[in-house]
This record gives sequence, C-alpha cells and structure tokens, in this order.
Amino acid sequence: MSSGPKAHPAPEFLALDARGDLPLFSRLRVRAHVLRCSECEHTIALFQLAHTELKREAGAETLTAFEAIADWDRLEREMLGNITVGVAAARCIDNVGRKRSWYVTLAFSTAMAALFIAGWLTHIPAQETRQLTAKLAHFARLAPPPVPANLVRATPTGIAVRSDGITLTILHPPGAVVAVSGSSSAEARFVDEDTGQLTITSVYGQ
Amino acid sequence: MANKRFGLFSLLASLALIASADTGANWLEVQFPHDSPVLPVTLSLQQPGPTTATVRGASLVVDLHASLLLRNTGTKTLSGLTLLVETPDLTPAGRGSVTVPSLHAQPGEVFPVHINMQIARPLSMGRSKGPMMQLSLDCALFSDLTAYGPDKLHARRQLIVYELQARRDRHYLAGLLEAGKLAQLREELNFGLQDLNPAQLAFELLHGPTAVATNREQPLAVNTVAFPDAPLKPLSGHAEVAGNEVRSPRLELRNTSTRTVKNFEIGWIIRDDRGRDFMAGSLPSAMQVGPVETASLTQPGTLRFSHPSGQPMVVDGLLAFVNDVEFADGKLWIPSRRDITEATPDPVLRRVLGSSPEQQRLAEIYRHKGMGGLADELKRLD
Repeated sequence: MSSGPKAHPAPEFLALDARGDLPLFSRLRVRAHVLRCSECEHTIALFQLAHTELKREAGAETLTAFEAIADWDRLEREMLGNITVGVAAARCIDNVGRKRSWYVTLAFSTAMAALFIAGWLTHIPAQETRQLTAKLAHFARLAPPPVPANLVRATPTGIAVRSDGITLTILHPPGAVVAVSGSSSAEARFVDEDTGQLTITSVYGQ
Repeated sequence: MANKRFGLFSLLASLALIASADTGANWLEVQFPHDSPVLPVTLSLQQPGPTTATVRGASLVVDLHASLLLRNTGTKTLSGLTLLVETPDLTPAGRGSVTVPSLHAQPGEVFPVHINMQIARPLSMGRSKGPMMQLSLDCALFSDLTAYGPDKLHARRQLIVYELQARRDRHYLAGLLEAGKLAQLREELNFGLQDLNPAQLAFELLHGPTAVATNREQPLAVNTVAFPDAPLKPLSGHAEVAGNEVRSPRLELRNTSTRTVKNFEIGWIIRDDRGRDFMAGSLPSAMQVGPVETASLTQPGTLRFSHPSGQPMVVDGLLAFVNDVEFADGKLWIPSRRDITEATPDPVLRRVLGSSPEQQRLAEIYRHKGMGGLADELKRLD
C-alpha cells in the first residue's frame, strides 16, 4: 500500500479512495493518513475533480450522439431489416450448398449405375441374367422354383456340360467333328494321333 | 487383406490338389466289375499331358489327362466300348463318356484309351470327400454284337450302329479296291487331303430357363430325305428358327414296314446362308411306331449354331433323314450304300449322308499310310 511507515499511500489508492472504491480496511488507513497529510488530501481532491470533469464530458458526448439519431423507429427498422437480410442470405447459402451436394450424389449414383449395367451387359451372358431373374422371382414368391439351367456346348476345342457353376469339358484335338447326339447331349469324333484309334467323346446334360 | 487371404486359400487349394495328383488318389477313381471282360492294367495321369490344377478367377480349373491301359480279358473279340465319366459334384445334372468303336481287340490284347478332361468349379464350393472323377465301364460290344455292361447311357445300341456302319463301309471300300476303282476310292476318302474333312461347326444346346422363345422366331419348313429301303420315312416337318437358333424341331414320320419300330435316330443337316451343308447330328428317339402308323416327333430345347470361329451361323435350311431304326425284336436297320447313293443326286449331300466314324478312321489311315496301308487295314479286319 505504501513505500514506508511514514510514506504517502500510492496514487492508485488515493484515486480509488476518491471514488470510494477502496475496501473498508484500506479506506480507514488512507483516511487516517489524509487527516494528517494535506498533500494527499489535495491529490484526492484533484482526482475527484477530474472524475467530475470526465463524467460531465462523457454526458455531453452521449447527448451529441443521441441527437444524431433523429429517428429511432427508422433505426430499429433498418436493424431488423439487416438482420432479416442476413438470415435470408444464410438460408440461401445453405440451400445452394445442399442442392449442389444433391446433384453430385445423383450424378455419381447415375454414373455408377450406368457403369454397372454396361459391365453386366457386356460381361454377363444373357442366360445368367435370365437365371438370376428366375431365382429372384422365386425368392420374391412371384414364380415357382427355377429348374437348374443346363447348358451343353460344343466348340472346336472341347464339348462341355455346365450346371450350377460347374463345368465338365472333354477336350478334343483340332479337326474333330462335333455334332448333336441327343436332346441334351453332344459328341466329338476324332482319330487319336497317339493311338490311331477312332474316339468319340460325349457329354450329357440332365 | 481379403484378397491376400483369398489368394492364399487359392494357392493352398491348388497345392493340395497338385499334391494328390502324384498318386492319382482322390482325382480319378476307376471302377470295373470283377467279372468284366475288360480290365484296367495301368492308369497314368501324366499322359498325354500333365494333370494340373490352376485358379482362374473365382474357379478352380483341373486339367485331367488320363491314359488308361485296358486288357481284353474275355474270350471274344472286342468291337468297341464306352466308358462312363462322372463327376459327383455334377451328377446327375451332367456326365460324359468316351467311346472307342472299331476297336477289334483280340482276347488278351492290351490297348490304351486316352481321356482329356477339364473340370471348372467355384472355389467357394469346397472339395467333396470322394474322388473328383469316376470312370467306369458302361458297355463293351463284342464282334458277335453281344454286349456287357450296365448300359446307363444306352451305349449298346449306338455301339451296334457304329459296328454295322463300319462293316458296311469297309465292305464297300474293299469292293472298290478289289474292283480297281481307285479313283472312286480316293474320292470317297477325300483324296487324303486334310482340307476335305467334314465341315466343322460349334453349337450350344439350351434347356430350362435359358431356353426362352424370342419374338424373332419364324417357322421354317424341314426338308426330308428318304432312303428307298428305309422302314421309317420322314414326311414333313417344321421348326422355329431365329437367326442362328433352332427351336423345337418337329417331324412327321411313317412306318412303311410290317414290323413295329421301338427306337429310331433322326439325322439333321443344317444349311447356312451360303448354301453349305453341315451335319448337325443325330437325335435318338424312343418311340414305338406300329406298322403303317404315322408318328409325330418333337425335339425339346433350343440349338444355337455358330462357326468354329464363334461367328453365329445363320440357319437357312433344315434337312432330316432317318439314320437308323431299331425294331421291337431288337434288330437294327441302317441305310445301305445303295440307299445313300439313290437318296439324292447331290454329291455333297450324299457325302454328308454317308459320313460315318469308320470312314473317318479309314480316311485318316489313307492320309498317313497311303493306299497300301488302307489295303492292309481292310484285309486285317475282313
């Protein structure tokens, strides 16, 4: 509070005392000193005078600003208008962002669907599609259980029977004569180069 | 990570299969009855090529090359045999067979049979406990046309037809040789030229939900060829055709004999849009037709034809003929050489009608060994 036993209180204590803002114990000690020190009493008086002057000047400036606001209702309408415009702008920005996101999602989904369909059409045989459709229809109880598809195929390299994803192929050399040998069977006829024997291979579907 | 696991599983699966390939155990089981007139001597899974297992996509592909050495343990000459090939995972949906006609294996003679197969199955299916493939004797035909075997594939009748055709063709060619008609003989055997082999085709036979009718189908009349002495004569027919697809061909037939027909086989020739004829095949039918009766035959399913290159073959014409007939008493009829000659004036069609497995074999002998080799073979089998 002070620099020594007989020293004067610090100026901030005097300033606070001038406004009556010191705590009780500090205020009693400062008042006791001021009773014996005219210098400090004068300083306090200067602080009080300065405060009065500042208060007066502050009151004059506030009055001037208030005088500048001629129409309070207009000011209120402007402020409310600004707030409304701000809120509307924020909503507008929000919607713009959402619309773009929706468009991007839709475009991405469409592109992926198109890619999937193109890939399916170019890579999956038509009979597989029909089989899958039949299975799905059965799953949805729209159709009776599908009969297992059975495919017998003859190519220049082999004759094959395929069912439920399993394929049995009997291979033959190039030049073999392939032919239908039944309502669900195929045969290949060739002369075995190693044995010289005529060999007829056949595959049978169900 | 999932891919790595999948790859590791695939590798292990392949290794397990390859390991078992050394012994042949769990790959191929050969089953012959103890009293069979034909018994296996040895089995090799490394001839004519190595047996391998590879992973292709999500499937395990097993290339099985088996060489089976068989011995005629009976007392009769063996004319031909049919081996049944079964895959337990596929049976009864599908199976295969290997037939060796024109065998002429004398009692005690040892002869090889080669089987080259490929099995593709999903890896997710796992492996069954039994062998992947079973090989058994379905039918053995002797020179006196008696047979042995369970005949699950009705191979006996087909083996007899092959044998009758072989005897007919050998007799005919031997006659040409004896008469010195070498130019005609050479023509019959395609002059020994590779290019004059029967025209090749490829096809798919569809059944079940895969065989679906389309709006493009149009009815096509079936032309018929009747052999003069045939007991069963085709009258007329039609089929639904769409581009390269033939669906449900139908045929009207009449039994012109005094005997009841039990089974018969209809030969089908297709003509493409360039006018070329292809022997599509022969379809057997088990249908009883009494004397002078008329029967209607419909073949189920859809046939989709293509060239060997894979290009679709546009079907422009269909021709049907009776290939063989089995009477109720078990006797068989096949067209004679005279029947074939008199059936049509078209030499190309006549060649297709007369095409038999034995003629193909003899043409191959002529190609490799010349006229001398052919003469020796005809003399050996006389």
